[in-house]
Amino acid sequence: MTTVLAAQDLEKRYPLHGQDVAALRGVTLSIEQGEYVAIVGPSGSGKSTLLTLLGGLDTPTAGTVRILGTSLGELDDRKLTRLRLERIGFIFQRFHLLPVLTARENVELPLAERGVGVAERRARAEELLAYVGLATRTHHRATQLSGGEMQRVAIARALANGPAIVLADEPTGELDAATGKEILALFRRLHNDGTTLVVVTHDDQLAAEAGRVIRMLDGRIVA
Amino acid sequence: MKGSWALRDLLRHPVRSGLALLGVAISAALLLDMVLLSGGIERSFEKLLLSRGYQVRVSPKGTLPFDTEATLGNAAQIVAGIRSTPGVVQAGPVLGASLFARHDGALLPLVAYGIDPTAQGIYVLEDGRDLSLGDSTHVLLGKPVARRLGAKLGDTLVLVGRLDPEVAAPARSVKVVVSGLVHFLYDAKDQPSIALTLPMVQGLGGPHLVDRASVILVRAADGADTGAVVTQLRQTFPKLGVNTVGDLVAKFRERLAYFRQLSLILGSIALIVTVLLVGTLLAITVNERLGEIATMRAIGISRTTVIAQVVTQGLLLVVPGGVLGIFLGLGTARWLDAILTSFPGLPAAISFFVAEPRQLTIAALTLLVTGLLAGVPPAWRAANAPIAATLRSDAP
Repeated sequence: MTTVLAAQDLEKRYPLHGQDVAALRGVTLSIEQGEYVAIVGPSGSGKSTLLTLLGGLDTPTAGTVRILGTSLGELDDRKLTRLRLERIGFIFQRFHLLPVLTARENVELPLAERGVGVAERRARAEELLAYVGLATRTHHRATQLSGGEMQRVAIARALANGPAIVLADEPTGELDAATGKEILALFRRLHNDGTTLVVVTHDDQLAAEAGRVIRMLDGRIVA
Repeated sequence: MKGSWALRDLLRHPVRSGLALLGVAISAALLLDMVLLSGGIERSFEKLLLSRGYQVRVSPKGTLPFDTEATLGNAAQIVAGIRSTPGVVQAGPVLGASLFARHDGALLPLVAYGIDPTAQGIYVLEDGRDLSLGDSTHVLLGKPVARRLGAKLGDTLVLVGRLDPEVAAPARSVKVVVSGLVHFLYDAKDQPSIALTLPMVQGLGGPHLVDRASVILVRAADGADTGAVVTQLRQTFPKLGVNTVGDLVAKFRERLAYFRQLSLILGSIALIVTVLLVGTLLAITVNERLGEIATMRAIGISRTTVIAQVVTQGLLLVVPGGVLGIFLGLGTARWLDAILTSFPGLPAAISFFVAEPRQLTIAALTLLVTGLLAGVPPAWRAANAPIAATLRSDAP
């Protein structure tokens, strides 16, 4: 088994109203290739903070994060951005699609940034949109899609550059139960197709789908 | 994709973007007009002075040609002296005087130029025939005079010389036939000018104008060193003002320093307005899109791409606004030019706003650089926003 992601003694503190608040207190974990991991815990337990550190969106106060052996702390912004582009797929609770772009263009965006040619990236984007069940919605703008459809586009975008790991923060948090189930099924399919998944969730059903559940409390892994 | 993305983003707020574009166009028009004004009149003046090939003007010291009523004495001797100067191929004396034309029982005041028909540089013949040396029976009319008198080629006019101040009666009059219609190069708009041979004007003007000239136009030989000719003339005629076209333009420039200052101030204001307009709009746009920008950064879009996108948005306002502004500026320049050149005493042929490729390029590049600079602070802010914190607090 290849270790895709490894975090060692991660700490994150924020200054808040003149006080030093510890969001993470010495978190250590590793994710193997093909794993489906759910991170659960009450609000304020530090799970979203952990995800941002694992994805290189923020820097830890202490500790290290390695993606496929590369320490994120040793990368400058340009290299870290490139690593996020090529190795990590992000799925956000609020989808975060670019509203002026169509579904296909949203998926094309990371491909274009990587320098993929127009024809190839269009084909890839359409293939991914078909994969998430949106073959007929490629030319719709994000604002013309339902919440579930937007999240599917976000999933397709996350998969665009064939990432080593997909990090999802409350992917069903903004969806109704029925739509949430569809996304759940899609995640199951992603896992079955070999995608390494780390999902931060409050959703018990989503957590139950995962092969491993990490429970957090007060900035620590408790189980 | 990135360009159309930036455009579509601007079109999210069509009214706001449209107003900003219009604002840029108006600023660009003002900037262009000020760039044209800053040096246009000088170039126009220089071009006018050189239009007949005379590079040097000799006039009473301390004056500009026709700037005062001062005249040169011993004009014939001076002209002969100038013509014998090495490098000089032509010297043409011109005397300006006030005459009158009898018309419908009244006296119409005229500006009369006495010229040497073999060496004149103040008019262009448009119809009929030119004066000949020693001609004392013909006159050339400018269009405004011909229009006012209703005169045409072959008509006879009665010209009246200097009025006697004691009795207000004409001192001398002469009948002349209109031989040609001319365009006087240095005349103000609608100036009632005529041209006669120099001796006629000297005679009609009265005793104080005998053997006098207002200015002598000097043409150096092709390939001759004009500077050397001027030096020689200054040595030979130390009591006269010997000016090259460059000297005259420089003196003209001193007098028009006001226009340069005005154009500098208004041009700077136009640039500041452009910076504020584009900068404010982009800052607002970036502020609204911080969540999107953080998302882009999160999924691996580089800072360079983010900056390029914001700057592209700035250019999408500045470039079309600038193009629109050029047309608007050229239109307003024509309108303003018509107003300014109708000021009394200014040659109508002078243009305050001279649109040349160089000036258009300067205005366009200045605007482009300004637009780029205006986009830098919001682009920098967009590219450096903390990703995680922005995603948490500024989600779309």
